[in-house]
Amino acid sequence: MKVWDWYPVFLREMLLFKRRLFKLGYLLSAMMIPIIYLVVFGLGLGRNVQFSSQDYLSFLIPGLVAMSSMTNSYNWIANSVNLGRLYFKTFQVLLQAPISLVHLILGEVFSGMVKGLFAALLIILAGLLTAPNFFITLPLVIALILNCFLFASLGFTVGMLSKGHEETATYFNFFILPMAFFCGTFFPIEKIPTFLKPVVYLLPLTHTNILIRKEFFDLEALIAILVLLIYSVFCFLWGITLIKNYSE
Amino acid sequence: MKNFYMIEVKNLVKTYGGKRVVDGISFWVKKGEVFGLIGPNGAGKTTIIKILTTLVKPDEGEVFINGSNLFKEPQEIKKIIGVVPQENNLDRDLTVYENLLIYGMLHKVRDLKRKIEEVLNLVELWDRRNSLTSTLSGGMQRRLVIARAFLPDPPILFLDEPTVGLDPQIRKFIWELIRRSKAKGKTIILTTHYIEEAENLCERVGIIHKGKLMAIGTPLELKEGLGRFVVEHINGDGKLIQWIFKTEEEAYKLVQEKRIPVSIRRVNLEDVFINLTGKRIE
Repeated sequence: MKVWDWYPVFLREMLLFKRRLFKLGYLLSAMMIPIIYLVVFGLGLGRNVQFSSQDYLSFLIPGLVAMSSMTNSYNWIANSVNLGRLYFKTFQVLLQAPISLVHLILGEVFSGMVKGLFAALLIILAGLLTAPNFFITLPLVIALILNCFLFASLGFTVGMLSKGHEETATYFNFFILPMAFFCGTFFPIEKIPTFLKPVVYLLPLTHTNILIRKEFFDLEALIAILVLLIYSVFCFLWGITLIKNYSE
Repeated sequence: MKNFYMIEVKNLVKTYGGKRVVDGISFWVKKGEVFGLIGPNGAGKTTIIKILTTLVKPDEGEVFINGSNLFKEPQEIKKIIGVVPQENNLDRDLTVYENLLIYGMLHKVRDLKRKIEEVLNLVELWDRRNSLTSTLSGGMQRRLVIARAFLPDPPILFLDEPTVGLDPQIRKFIWELIRRSKAKGKTIILTTHYIEEAENLCERVGIIHKGKLMAIGTPLELKEGLGRFVVEHINGDGKLIQWIFKTEEEAYKLVQEKRIPVSIRRVNLEDVFINLTGKRIE
């Protein structure tokens, strides 16, 4: 049953998730930022904004889904691995278990994906209730799954790299947060100044935002999938390398 | 020769920031033996345990556990070791039962529910199985960490300061668990800075100081190498003065000659440590 070796790692995170989920502050803090953006930009300012093809709220919701799934997949795993490794020493229990390192990472990444998907689901529900032209499409589902896998893998890598909890927050502030604002969450990428576009197109969330708003798979969507896959494989392999060379 | 010892450590070196915290350590442990590493905090005991339990990669040296090379076949070794680390690294937001459930699944323990009940009864925590781990006292958490290490019934146990900071009653309880494990044929390496613990539990001990193995042998061998009786006197400046003798007669002879207030006791491992290093253990 080696193929299921990741399951105890995943189950552990899920049991912890379940317990924390019922603590009011935990759920609220995870959802607070996307809800604020939804209310302020979508329902507030967005009422007076109209794009050529659709209303602003229907544009914003997929972006918030991408952003929310990114931050939740990333944050929960980065913090869990970092705190478990450096403060609670619970990560060492996983390291000393007779399971392959790939399964250890898979268990963590899958749990990060569940957390990202859970947060995204809440935004999707809000979108279905409030945005007239927001629909769940196959590109949205694929973008969401790839995005969660990618950022959970990145979260694992950062959790392994960080020498303290503050460093994890620094990675968030310098990498994740700018992506949330410049990669097409709140306004179309075409509106970004030309000199910034090459940088923006290098960042993975841009491609999630491109894919998540597609109704069908055109060349741009396929390129976005490819970019997200490359980033995902890179982050996952980086995580494997870090854990393989782990030494306290 | 490779399989003769359960644990064989050869010339282990680990350096942090240019400082050798483990400095050319070599020792072996036979199957079914309780081997103690004694020394003060910062001597390098925990680093040695972390190397042997796959958490730290040494700069130099070789380790064979049950015939497997630790650095080439770590997965094989992880299957046969149980670890009690210095800190109670439990998931505080999981229940007692859930902590063991996850650990048992990670270690592929068969008949897991029955085994969990068995180890929780052993450490007298079955009644608290549904309690959140964060609600347990320090002593209870320590017993749970020990139960967790016992769960897969591993043939080798690494116990890093298993009783540090615990009250005497729980310490004796844990000693009894260690003795029972020894009786079942387990090979045990334990680190401690409690002399009494080492003398009570270990068949052989290694004395560690500043990363070096200063001496190794049975507690009796180490003590008799120094002498048998210690005569102690506190002088007018409050300084402790000691004389060590091979026989009781020699000790009493000194007492009669000196005609000063003294106490006489048997040599213990702390005396051996002080003699080797010039410092006390604690």
